[in-house]
Formats: sequence, structure tokens, C-alpha cells
Amino acid sequence: MKTHIFFSAKAIVLATTFAFIFSACDDDNDVVPNEQELITTVRLTFTSGNESLVFNAIDADGPGGNPLVVDEVNLAANTTYQLSVAFLDEQDPANAEDITEEVREESTEHLVCYEATGVPSPTGLDLDANGKTLGLKATYTTADAASGSLKVILKHEPDKDAANPCATGETDVEVTFNVVVN
Amino acid sequence: MCGTVREAKSGKPVAFAEVFIHETQAGAVTNADGRFHIHGLCEGKYTVDVRHIGCHTVSKVVDIVGNMEVDFELHHSALNLDEVVVKASAVAPLAMQAETRIGGLQLIASQGQTLSDALEDLPGVSVLNTGQTISKPVIQGLHSNRILILNNGVRQEGQQWGLDHAPEIDPYTAGEITVVKGASSVRYGQDAIGGVILLTPKPIREAPGTSGELNLAGFSNGRTGVASAFVESLWQTKRSAHQLWSRIQGTLKRGGNYHTPAYFLENTGLKETNGSATIGAKRGNFLAEVFYSYFFTEIGIFRGAHIGNLTDLQLAIDRGRPIQDGSFSYHLGRPAQKVAHHLLKTKAEWKSDQLGTFSLVYARQFNRRQEFDAHSLGGPSQEALQVPSLEFEITTHTADVVLKHRPLLRYFTGSVGLQLMHQVNTTDRGGLIPNYDSQSGGLFWIERWRNYPFPLEIELGIRYDVKRLYADRRGPDRIDEERIFRNFSGTVGGLYRISDAIHARLHFGTAWRAPTVNELYSDGVHHGAASYELGQKDLSAEKAFLTSFTFEASLPVQNGRSAQATLSIYRNRIREFIYLAPMPQPVLTIRGAFPAFRYEQTNAMLSGMDFDFNWPLTTPLTFDGGLSVLRARNLTTKDWLIFMPADRLWGGLEYAFLTSVKEAAGQVDDRRASLKIDVVHVLEQKRVPPGFDYAPPPKAYTLFNLEARLKWNWQDLPAFLTLGIENIFNHTYRDYLNRLRYFTEEQGRNFSVRFNLKF
Repeated sequence: MKTHIFFSAKAIVLATTFAFIFSACDDDNDVVPNEQELITTVRLTFTSGNESLVFNAIDADGPGGNPLVVDEVNLAANTTYQLSVAFLDEQDPANAEDITEEVREESTEHLVCYEATGVPSPTGLDLDANGKTLGLKATYTTADAASGSLKVILKHEPDKDAANPCATGETDVEVTFNVVVN
Repeated sequence: MCGTVREAKSGKPVAFAEVFIHETQAGAVTNADGRFHIHGLCEGKYTVDVRHIGCHTVSKVVDIVGNMEVDFELHHSALNLDEVVVKASAVAPLAMQAETRIGGLQLIASQGQTLSDALEDLPGVSVLNTGQTISKPVIQGLHSNRILILNNGVRQEGQQWGLDHAPEIDPYTAGEITVVKGASSVRYGQDAIGGVILLTPKPIREAPGTSGELNLAGFSNGRTGVASAFVESLWQTKRSAHQLWSRIQGTLKRGGNYHTPAYFLENTGLKETNGSATIGAKRGNFLAEVFYSYFFTEIGIFRGAHIGNLTDLQLAIDRGRPIQDGSFSYHLGRPAQKVAHHLLKTKAEWKSDQLGTFSLVYARQFNRRQEFDAHSLGGPSQEALQVPSLEFEITTHTADVVLKHRPLLRYFTGSVGLQLMHQVNTTDRGGLIPNYDSQSGGLFWIERWRNYPFPLEIELGIRYDVKRLYADRRGPDRIDEERIFRNFSGTVGGLYRISDAIHARLHFGTAWRAPTVNELYSDGVHHGAASYELGQKDLSAEKAFLTSFTFEASLPVQNGRSAQATLSIYRNRIREFIYLAPMPQPVLTIRGAFPAFRYEQTNAMLSGMDFDFNWPLTTPLTFDGGLSVLRARNLTTKDWLIFMPADRLWGGLEYAFLTSVKEAAGQVDDRRASLKIDVVHVLEQKRVPPGFDYAPPPKAYTLFNLEARLKWNWQDLPAFLTLGIENIFNHTYRDYLNRLRYFTEEQGRNFSVRFNLKF
């Protein structure tokens, strides 16, 4: 009787061990690896009349590796442009994804900020669903020939009621374009 | 010598039993918990009598070796009125290396906290925090991959490398936690550069029957509640020839947003669900045991600490506090972590009368870590939020074969062993860590020469390890690289016994660790740290050379009560110390600029001192205190090392309410109730290298804590209640070792209630 208890215990010990070893080896590994959304491209489009000028900041392989390449923005003097900004995921160029749409859908959660140095700042920024600044579209009026820079920042979950909304929220994009006005 | 006298059948403690030693004429009477203490015994063989009203006096010979816990069992059955079973278990001989441990009431009184917080009161131990809920232990300045955690004898293989990755262990599974300080690879294996944390489960009850324990804890800050319980049974045949035991244990923990003196921190709650089960059997000299544990935690990460780039970080530091005051909630939002850890351990042990004790341990661990970002890029679609942005799975198999041999040539005791490990990591999402697999093997041999009462003891040990690491990465930058590391480790220790109560120990030990995959191959932005981290694939192994000196004294001062003091001084010299060094140029990304750091190697020297004492001022009043000092130098750049704990000192006064019976019997450790006030002072860390950090270290701070303990019998069951207040004055402060110090202050006043019941 006593040995019986003992051997049944040993059987339990062994059975549990093997059951666990073999059953636990097939944990899920069926997830597609490294499938992460990434903004690789910031595209500024300046439209005046029928003419559209497109400038990109591209880092197709994400941080590190190949460096970020930023186009120089060349604009005509004393011209009024319609400015629109787009954010793209072009990790796979054949299957590029336009993240601007998602930003627009969640317009109250996002804010595009501009910091201009040496050149004029964009004006007339578009508004979100609550009537607060969004900044995906703006008007850009150049003056006489000048050169400077324009920093484009995409904020997520900013506090749009704050005194300086651009100092709140999490930065998703921060790119500085050199601007030359001829 | 101390121990407990119990009634064998019920397992209940026997009060008022007399324990008497013939040779020294010393004696003690057990208290209500059946505990007794006899101080000042030299090592050797003694005849111990245990007397109890209504029983015959029974004598047993006990071989006393060092500080021993000797338990007696009185059989009150009608058949065996006078049978006394003596179970003398010599705790491992005094270690050569500095050690400190927490167990028993001390551990119960700190229950409900994380593993690291339970250890924080020990000299030489500090805590690296990410908020209140994620904490990692730091031993003499080292942490993460430089510390080895042995959970129930198995090396914990989780995701130690991250600063925000807490050990995946339920502290309630441990009955005692020992911290071995400094390099100690020979006995414990690779990675033990800074030390080892050993979690030992409570021993299974000794008498047949069923019993258990219930632990409840509640904290006002975060409105955190914890419940943990276990039930265990032992069955045996006559004369304990065959034994069968089992234990089932579980823990639930739930907490919400915690608050600093001025505001709540959004999304800082947690949920934890843990369980474990043991079954074991013993027949004669053979023992087999299976242990399984499951750990699952879901932790909210303070939203304000999730930053997009360096500008955000600078804005947050300038603000110095969250934008909003926040409010209390148990809701766990994003960002968050979910971590699961499974451990299965099987152990077989065979005692041979000729050779010694053979043990064979096989363990399998599976660890899954998922991290959820605050949002998916562009917009937070609900499905996207359910998908982790990082997911790693590590599966580890370990096998240990050890022979603890019987004394050789009369004076030599020791063990030889072989340790094997196989590990596979799969990165399902996020590219921070490549997929890898790794195998390692180590052979060790440790001997101790001891000829009591000759005052000197000597210990020698040697170990050889090989480790292979193969890294591959799915996707474009496939690594496909194999590295092999080989290393010898050694240890030499001497113990000199000035008297039985005063020892001096000198220890030399080495340890090593192979570089980890993140140090070798990481290449990307670490968002939590707002830095770009670059690995170096030709890093070599890190090697530590420790010299430590420990002096311990215990002197009787008051009515048989002793004053105790321990001082340890150490120098841990680390060759090829791996650290993140700043690079001259920041890395420009579409998210803005990030400061860049690269894993570099240097020679480092960590030296310091840990001191603690306990002084009975009067019979009810005890004064205790201590001091931890550390200086950590980068020898190559002749500068300080970053993120090293600041010096700290502490002191406390405890008033014990003793019953007259206990006082008469000199039962100073058994207090009906006590009240204690503690002061902790942490200095400002002024020894930091320039150019590594985003903000200067915070100022020094002083905290006051209060604790009241009460023991009583609740329906004949021993109950233990602890009431505490941490940070009594709701002091506003920041700690250098908290990674959220850039964004927020530390938590404010915290009331706690803890209850323990043994049944």
C-alpha cells in the first residue's frame, strides 16, 4: 500500500514533466515578424495655379542605417502657395501607405506645427473636427528672395488648449527643410 | 542554537517546553510559538533534553555546527508519549563571501511589495525603478545582466537586459531570500558579476497533515491589494520511510494609479496573477520533486514618460511634472507591458552513504514579453492597439548535476557539478533584439577545509564555462553570426574565528559574463530612453575580480540579548566592462535628433562598504542602523560610472512590548507587539560622468517610516498584523535610480496593512 502511494507519486511526477515539455514547445510562432508601421516620408506639396512643387524628407529604412535625406525647398519670390503635408510609409515602395488619412480621421488627436527661421511662416492652417488647429493644409506666401529653414512637427495627443500646444504631446515627426526663395 | 518545539501530530507549537543542554547547563523555555534560543554555544556535540509537563524527559545528541536551527517534535500520541524526533538541519556553513538575507517575520512584514522592494532594506542592495511598479534589484551598484537570480535553485532566464524589465518572480513563493554580494561565478555560474539573489521556498511541513498560510496586504497609495495563500499536505508511512507531499500556492495583485504628494500619475496601475504547485515524494534515500510556477503581470507605463524624441524629453524635464494632475483609476491603458513566465522544475536526489548526495535538476522556462505603445502611428485604431509593438519569447532549458560529497580525508567538504543550458529567443515583433539561440556548459568544483575548533577555515573553487551564441535576424539586416566564449573562474576564501561570536572573512572571487545580444547587435532608437543605441559585434566577455573582507561580531549586552554588527568592505574590479558611451554626433531621424550611444568596453572599479548593526539599548528598546557607500570608477576614462546608487544611511528605534513570561525566559526575539520608527537618508549622487545624462541627479532626501507589529492567536491560529506608514511627512523627492525622475516625483505617503495567518 505504501509503495503504491510512492510509485503513483513518481508516475505523476514523470507524466507531468513530459506532458509539459512536449505540450509547451508549440507556443505560437505564427506572427509575422517586424511588421511595424513607420513614417518613412514627409512630403510637402506647394501648389500655385497649375504648378505643384513636391519636396520630400525620406528615411526609407528607418532610424540608423541609411541616413535621412531631406530635399531643399526651392520656391519663387512673392508667390502664394497652397501648402499640404503628407506622411507616408514607404518601407515597401510597391505597397506604400498614406498615413495622412489616419491623421485626418483622428484630427483632434493630432497637430502639425511649423517653425520657420529666416523665411515666412505658413498661415491659414486648416482645422480639426473640433474647430481647432490641425495644420495638414496651409497657405504659404513668400516675400522677396531669402533663405532659411522650415521645421515640420507632427504631434500626437497634444493639449490643444495649452498656451503653446506645440510644446505638449508626443512627437511622431520632426524634420527640418532648408528653404530657398528666389 | 535556536529552533521550534512542535507537537508532531498537529504540527502545533508547544509552549513552555524546557530545552536544556547538559554540557553547558544552559537552557531556555519555549514561548507561545514554540520557539527557543540558546546563545553562546561552541561547536561540537551536545546532549539536549526536551522536557514538557506530562512527558518523560528525553535526551538527544545534537552536533552543533555554526548557527543552527534545531527543531524538536514531541509525539503526544497515547502510544509514544515520550518519543522526540530531532531534526537538526545545519544551515550551509558560514559563507566566505558577504551575504545578507531576509526571511521569516521580516519577509512577512514586507509582503505585498515587489521582490526588489523587499530587498531594499538590506545593506548594499538598492533598487532601479521605472515608476513604482517596475523595479530591479541592484547589488553593490550592479544590476540586470550582471546579477543572477536563482529562483528555487533554477537560474531565472527572462528578459533581464532591459532597465524596465523587472524579475518575473512572485516573491510569495519564497520563504527566505539571500543576497550574495559580489562576483561569484564558481558556485552559481556565469553572469554573477555583481552578485546573486537566491529565493528559497519555505520548507514543506515536517509532520504529516495539512496546513497553510494566508497573506493579505493593502496599500493606500495606488489602492493596491494583494492576496496570497498556500495549502500543503504531507503524508507518510511509519518511521517516515515513505513520504509524499504537495503544495498549491497562488497570488493576486491589483493596483491603480499612484500619487506623488501633489498629483496622480496616469496609467500607473498593475495586475498580477501568479500560481505555483509542488508535488514530491521521498523513499529512503531517494527524493523526487516537481515544481511548476506561472507568473503573469500587466503593467501600465506612465503616459507622460512616453516621449517621441529629444525635444519632447527636454520639454518634459523643463516642465518637471506631468501636464495634468491626473486622477485615480484602476484602468490600464497604453503604453503597457504584459509579461508571462512559466517555470517547470523537476528534481531528483539520491543520498549515498558512501559518496554523498547526488542531485539532478532539469528546468524549462518560457518567457513572453509584450510591450504596447501609446498609439499606432497615425491614429489609434482599436485593433492596432491590441497588437504589441514589441514581442519576445525566450525558451530556456537548464540541467544541473551536482554531487555534494561526504567529508573527504576527514576535513574536506565540497561539491562538484555540471551545468548545461540551451536557450532560444524568438522576436515576433519589434527589431530591438535579434532571434538567437545559445548553448552553454560549465563544470565546477568547490572544496572547504575545516577542522573545528581550529580557528581557520579555507575554501577553494574552480570553474570552466563555454558559451555559444548564434544570432540571426529575419528581415533585411540578417546577422547570421556565431560567437563562442570560454572562461575559467576561481575562488579562494578564508574564515578566521576569533571567537564563536566574532568572525573575519577574506574572499577572492571571479565571475564572468558573455556580452548579450543587445550589447552586440542593437541598432535603433530606444524610445523609453530617447536615445539611439548601437551595438558592437566584437565585444569580448566581461570579467570581474572581487576582493571582499567581512567582519562580524555578536556580543551579549543586555539580559542575554546580543548586539550585532557586520561590516564588509569590497573592491570589484571589472575588466572589459560594457557600458553605453555617448557618440559625438546625434543621429538624425524623421522623428528628430536623438543622442547616440554606443556599447563600449572599459576597465571599471567598484569599491565600497556596507555596514549594519543592531544594538539593544534597554530590554524593550533596540537601536539599529547601517550605511552603504559605493565609488564606481571608469578606469580608462578616469571618470565616474553612470547610474550608480548614491550613498545611503539609515537608522531605526524599535520598542517591543514583551510579556513577562518571555522576558523571564530571555525570549527577546518573540515579541507580542512592537513599534518602530525608521529614518532613511539618501545623499545626492555627485559622482557622475559629464555628457551622459539629460538632467542632473536629484537632491538628497530623508524619509521617515513607521511600523507597528502585533502577534496574537486567532482561534488558536498564529496571526500576525503589520501596520505601516511610509514617507510619513509626504515628502516630495526624486531618486537618482528612478528612470521616471525626469518626468515626475516619487510617490507620496503610503499607508499599509499586512496580515498573515498560519492554519
